[in-house]
Amino acid sequence: MSMEDYDFLFKIVLIGNAGVGKTCLVRRFTQGLFPPGQGATIGVDFMIKTVEINGEKVKLQIWDTAGQERFRSITQSYYRSANALILTYDITCEESFRCLPEWLREIEQYASNKVITVLVGNKIDLAERREVSQQRAEEFSEAQDMYYLETSAKESDNVEKLFLDLACRLISEARQNTLVNNVSSPLPGEGKSISYLTCCNFN
Amino acid sequence: MATKMADLDSPPKLSGVQPPSEGVGGGRCSEISAELIRSLTELQELEAVYERLCGEEVREELLEPGRRKLHPNLQLIEGDAKQLAGMITFTCNLAENVSSKVRQLDLAKNRLYQAIQRADDILDLKFCMDGVQTALRNEDYEQAAAHIHRYLCLDKSVIELSRQGKEGSMIDANLKLLQEAEQRLKAIVAEKFAIATKEGDLPQVERFFKIFPLLGLHEEGLRKFSEYLCKQVASKAEENLLMVLGTDMSDRRAAVIFADTLTLLFEGIARIVETHQPIVETYYGPGRLYTLIKYLQVECDRQVEKVVDKFIKQRDYHQQFRHVQNNLMRNSTTEKIEPSCTMQELIGLYVTMEEYFMRETVNKAVALDTYEKGQLTSSMVDDVFYIVKKCIGRALSSSSIDCLCAMINLATTELESDFRDVLCNKLRMGFPATTFQDIQRGVTSAVNIMHSSLQQGKFDTKGIESTDEAKLSFLVTLNNVEVCSENISTLKKTLESDCTKLFSQGIGGEQAQAKFDSCLSDLAAVSNKFRDLLQEGLTELNSTAIKPQLQPWINSFFSVSHNIEEEEFNDYEANDPWVQQFILNLEQQMAEFKASLSPVIYDSLTGLMTSLVAVELEKVVLKSTFNRLGGLQFDKELRSLIAYLTTVTTWTIRDKFARLSQMATILNLERVTEILDYWGPNSGPLTWRLTPAEVRQVLALRIDFRSEDIKRLRL
Repeated sequence: MSMEDYDFLFKIVLIGNAGVGKTCLVRRFTQGLFPPGQGATIGVDFMIKTVEINGEKVKLQIWDTAGQERFRSITQSYYRSANALILTYDITCEESFRCLPEWLREIEQYASNKVITVLVGNKIDLAERREVSQQRAEEFSEAQDMYYLETSAKESDNVEKLFLDLACRLISEARQNTLVNNVSSPLPGEGKSISYLTCCNFN
Repeated sequence: MATKMADLDSPPKLSGVQPPSEGVGGGRCSEISAELIRSLTELQELEAVYERLCGEEVREELLEPGRRKLHPNLQLIEGDAKQLAGMITFTCNLAENVSSKVRQLDLAKNRLYQAIQRADDILDLKFCMDGVQTALRNEDYEQAAAHIHRYLCLDKSVIELSRQGKEGSMIDANLKLLQEAEQRLKAIVAEKFAIATKEGDLPQVERFFKIFPLLGLHEEGLRKFSEYLCKQVASKAEENLLMVLGTDMSDRRAAVIFADTLTLLFEGIARIVETHQPIVETYYGPGRLYTLIKYLQVECDRQVEKVVDKFIKQRDYHQQFRHVQNNLMRNSTTEKIEPSCTMQELIGLYVTMEEYFMRETVNKAVALDTYEKGQLTSSMVDDVFYIVKKCIGRALSSSSIDCLCAMINLATTELESDFRDVLCNKLRMGFPATTFQDIQRGVTSAVNIMHSSLQQGKFDTKGIESTDEAKLSFLVTLNNVEVCSENISTLKKTLESDCTKLFSQGIGGEQAQAKFDSCLSDLAAVSNKFRDLLQEGLTELNSTAIKPQLQPWINSFFSVSHNIEEEEFNDYEANDPWVQQFILNLEQQMAEFKASLSPVIYDSLTGLMTSLVAVELEKVVLKSTFNRLGGLQFDKELRSLIAYLTTVTTWTIRDKFARLSQMATILNLERVTEILDYWGPNSGPLTWRLTPAEVRQVLALRIDFRSEDIKRLRL
């Protein structure tokens, strides 16, 4: 597939505490792998996957960032150009959930105000070690007006759904933007003719 | 031959031969022809064939005893066959005889060789044993090692065999001595090497280093030698670091002294590798240098770690980082540092500092913005791009792709939001609508006013008292915006070519280029945002500065009657009533803009201006009345105007004035019906931009045309 052979291009950045499984989610989605014993990400990693949604080629640029505080200054620089952020925590780790407000502050400070944020509770394959109930997470995400999904990168649960639903929502946002702004402001996707979108069951 | 053999050897084929049927006369003929037999040479085959022939014979005797009488020739054949059998037996025996002798000879020869080899080895063993003893006595370790090496190369199984022979005890003794000598030599070499390294006696170190591989101790030799070299690296590095700590801060290289130390370290290691490459490759074989370098790399990392640690401590790096962090209003706790990620972390800290530096210096450049007369742009554009380029350039020199990308991202943010906001806010203040004379005065005098207020740093925040100042600010800002757009494109190209080299060295892994491209395309997209801003500003300028000026000049068209007689027409010829003054006004106004705006912006502005003139003039014309000579007058006026506008703009203005030109044509008609000479099938190359209704409307402007005639027209 050539570089320009797509209808939409979106940047998705994964953020969240160290060790919650961001890299595994990205690997599972882009390569179909679950790399066990994954070392900590240093800086940022970059993957591309092109998916087809209702006959449209959607190129997803996925930036996997280091969760550790000390690499934050590099990873933060990517928030601004992101079309979507996937804020990830580990359902077996209370601490990673407790840090979410802090992450939301970071998003507030560095990301574009049009960014779409999705909250992801990963590692549901370790249900017996769950520390954060689904209800709690749902209440939190509702209060913050975020879409919420629980995944398992290991069992490949909801991983495809996460990225594909997100792509759907990004497409419809991009189209709405084209409608509102006409052609004045450059958009992530190409300004194609507007057709009614029915594929998304987002929210 | 091989296939024939296979055929004959395979039992199914042989036994499967159908017995000759009784009904057929030729049944006695054997399947095996005489030619085939003659061509056979191998004993086995001959035997096989013979067996078969015998079998066939017996069968025939049993089955058809009577036939013999009927065929006396059989007697002859029988005789021949017997003779043949005799011959075959003879040949067979002969062959057996000959080949068995050859086989015996061959065996004998092989054993002889083995015997010689073993004798040689035993002699060598003895020779080695003697040699080792002598060499060891003479402390000729090279010679001793050479003997051991020879011994190690001997075929161990042969030696083992010899020990079981008659001379066993002697060989055993020799072997034992040799093995003892080997162990002793190993011990001696290890000991002497240790002493040599301890004393730093390089010739001795090298001497024993060369002996290790002869004793089959490649790994050990390299390990010990590497230890020796690493110790040297370490002590040199320590020495250098101590020197650094003693360096005065006023030293010329003080600022980069730690970087210098790292350079010294790397160069030192490179020199060591270079120096010892020949000896390693000669005595240890090709590819062994890698082992040495592996050891050195570990030491190198260890030393770099120390230098970086010292750097962080000495320069209060964390303290400074925290300071910067506080200034950026971020709350975070510093974590414990793990050595493995020190570099990445260091870069992370650096990026924050660089970002802070960039932001603060850009703010400073904006605050110190000055405009010099005769320039199109003010100082901050050049300053800002110099700063941004410098910051990214520094990040680039780290050779860390994450560092570079982060800096590009931060620069994108800085330009797209902070700096663009500065320019945007200036344009948002608008271009004050005043009279033409104000602008004339303003552009020349505003410079000083602006200059002084800029120095007080209140230019863009406090209310602007002088409209002149505001006007100049607006025009300069337009130029600034355009240059920003250009500069971003240039910056992108420069970075692209700068990084080609970096990528050809393969830094940052396979994703590096993709990361870089992605970040760079975000930066390049900012160029378009500045272009959009420029369009916004131009539209503003056109509607607030040009349109209000233009309106009265065009409206003055009303004051000139276009219901005129021959006499007035001639008078207009001599004393132009409207268009010359209009052109002059336009020229003067645009001249001011031409001086203050970049050619590209000026061109866009004249484009907007001509469109405006066409639209406004059309409105005025449609509200006026004409007679025949008045129409001719208007046609003349319009031609002058188009001729002038053609000289000031690079845009094609014919198109913009197409409707007006067609209106002039209509106003110039002799009589109403003449329009049909230009309309419909008679229009020729002319494309009418006026609708039939508009044509009637324009015809109605002629007071001398009767409305019934116009109504009657079939268009």
